[in-house]
Amino acid sequence: MRLINTVARIIDDKCTGCKICAQVCPTLAITMEPIPGSKNRKLAIVADEQCTGCTACEQRCPFDAIYMENMEESRVIGVNPAQVEQERLQQICYDAHLHPEQVVCYCTGTRAEEVAAAILLGADTPDKISMATGLRTGCTVECLQPAMRLLHAAGHHPEPQKGMYQWYGATPTIWDIPDEIKEKYVQRGFYFDDDIEFMERIRNYQSNAEASANGSKGEVK
Amino acid sequence: MRPSPIQPLPARSSRYGIDPQLVKKRFAELPGMTSVTLRELFPDSPNVIYPSAEGIAAIRRATEEKMEQMDLSMIQPYQSVNVLASHHGFTLLGGEPYAEVLRTIYDVVKRRTGAKEVRLRAGVGLRFRETEEYIKRFELKQYFDRALGMAPIDEGIPIETEIGTLYGLKRAYDADWIIHVHNSDVREVHFHRQVDRAVKPFGMSYARIETRSTYHQNLGPRAANFTARAIFESPFVQSKFVGAVFMNMSPSGVVSIEADNDLYKINDTVTLDGLRYYGKVFHLLGRIDECIVGLDFPCPVPYVFSAGVIYCNFVGANVDLFDLDVKLPPYTWYTEAFYGKDGRPLLPDISPVNPAIRMVIHNYAWIGYPSAFFAQQLPTLVVGKEQAELFEHDPQNMEYMKYAMVADNLEDAMRFAYRTTGTDKVLVFDGAVGGMNVSASLADHLMKEAPAASAYVESVLMPKWLKQRGIHVFA
Ligand code: SF4
Ligand code: SF4
Repeated sequence: MRLINTVARIIDDKCTGCKICAQVCPTLAITMEPIPGSKNRKLAIVADEQCTGCTACEQRCPFDAIYMENMEESRVIGVNPAQVEQERLQQICYDAHLHPEQVVCYCTGTRAEEVAAAILLGADTPDKISMATGLRTGCTVECLQPAMRLLHAAGHHPEPQKGMYQWYGATPTIWDIPDEIKEKYVQRGFYFDDDIEFMERIRNYQSNAEASANGSKGEVK
Repeated sequence: MRPSPIQPLPARSSRYGIDPQLVKKRFAELPGMTSVTLRELFPDSPNVIYPSAEGIAAIRRATEEKMEQMDLSMIQPYQSVNVLASHHGFTLLGGEPYAEVLRTIYDVVKRRTGAKEVRLRAGVGLRFRETEEYIKRFELKQYFDRALGMAPIDEGIPIETEIGTLYGLKRAYDADWIIHVHNSDVREVHFHRQVDRAVKPFGMSYARIETRSTYHQNLGPRAANFTARAIFESPFVQSKFVGAVFMNMSPSGVVSIEADNDLYKINDTVTLDGLRYYGKVFHLLGRIDECIVGLDFPCPVPYVFSAGVIYCNFVGANVDLFDLDVKLPPYTWYTEAFYGKDGRPLLPDISPVNPAIRMVIHNYAWIGYPSAFFAQQLPTLVVGKEQAELFEHDPQNMEYMKYAMVADNLEDAMRFAYRTTGTDKVLVFDGAVGGMNVSASLADHLMKEAPAASAYVESVLMPKWLKQRGIHVFA
């Protein structure tokens, strides 16, 4: 869930049409529209209902042509994980090596289960996940990969849009690192296998309540 | 009688903080506050070249001297060089020493190679305009042939590494050569765990969001910094890498400048020195039994610092953050991720945050870093409604004020804290140089504990830390 209480505003006189804001907006809220009466000039336009107030555009505009405005009435976006089939949701999280309750966006507090639910409800790209849940609309930096992992686990392999900077692709995980690389570096203090074991314990953890409901005990799925 | 508090760094004008005029009072001005110097606590604290009587000239001299040993012959006069910098350096000792290192590098490279274009490319953390502010403040645009801030959402390039494709910032690598300029302040030990400290910016401030997200989400709490090494070791980065220049830091200031074509040589030096210089302070702070924490520095909440230790590491000071047998510090993003919907850890063995912290008085700290975890875990009072409002509208901190309370002024906040916590020990994170600002009772406690802390680090902890990192020290 993400509370939204600011919106990006373009200062038309300062906008040069450079397009950078549109290239970085995580929810694709900015489009470049031709200026009526001019030949090739374009102006950035913000779709208010798609803007989450993340400030990415405002912080990257090279011409200071964007400012953030406090909204009179805030709004909330989010997906209720209870709306989707729980077994599928849990399987997607499991295959992505995530516990459903694990927080995957530190700014918005979004949990893996919410992202998985958004995917099951049709979000098949990181941009659509951001629009539905608010993931990637805080710092806009740290939470791309869990989204990619959950998308892959659900069978989606989105391609980035050409010429845009929103995201380029999935990257390796600790589960992909070959043994010879691990061996080469373990003496330097990188604890790959121990970390894998620990993260697996997190993924597999069931609360006592869940465990007794399922007739199992403790930490196994 | 104890000495007066050390003058903290003044509030600074920035888009990430409140107007400095709204910071009406600092902790150092409160009655009952005093200071304790690192030299008093640990008589074996290293000598520093800055701050010193020689002033900023000491930084230039040391940088020039150390750079003499660096081979720059690969740089041809018709070529370009990117001097890669990060925001961290500018937060140390007011920023001027790091700025002077950068200026000196420009002069040396120009003089020795005649390179056509020597540019500054300065990366950031999560505040995309931060280095632009520093470039302006230290007039680096006028000094370099070009100077630009880079953000992790800027255009990227794929970098093929031993573990697969990662992504760097195009602007970091758009020159024939790169020189990596950083500092050894241990800072985010909870993330890098003092493993490959010198390499980290290749996975952070010079990297795209894909890579940074790999570091913080795809590897594990103790393997994360491998992301940086993977990028640094890539043939692409190696083909451009000239060498590195580092400010070697201790909690009291700049110990030396290190410059070398071999980053791993610097890495070994700063890893060892970091454990040596910061280990005792970390361990001593872990011996505080109870206290009120004051945040009072122009930096985001987790980064305000005291005696070289950032606040978020005091939040984890109930465990030994340098000990690699500790899987998960009480604060790191991996830990934050593992609190379930009921607010309790997903695994019973996840360490709680430092129980010594009884209350946090947030007098002055910036937005621009996800900080809700701190307010969720620790009773927090934010001074001034303007500051509260700034946090309420920060996309990275939408939840911070959901848990923190607002106080009208610092005096009232402290009265409340003393009364409700029952402790008179106060530890202030205000960046005081050479020591820390504390209440008299905490000064006494620290002075009493310091000798035992020092002995324990030397005889027990240091050998363990070195062994875990494969570092052999010969006397
Ligand atoms: S980044 Fe700024 S100048 Fe460029 S198109 Fe967007 S608003 Fe206009
Ligand atoms: S503030 Fe964020 S979501 Fe809104 S238009 Fe700008 S980049 Fe897009």
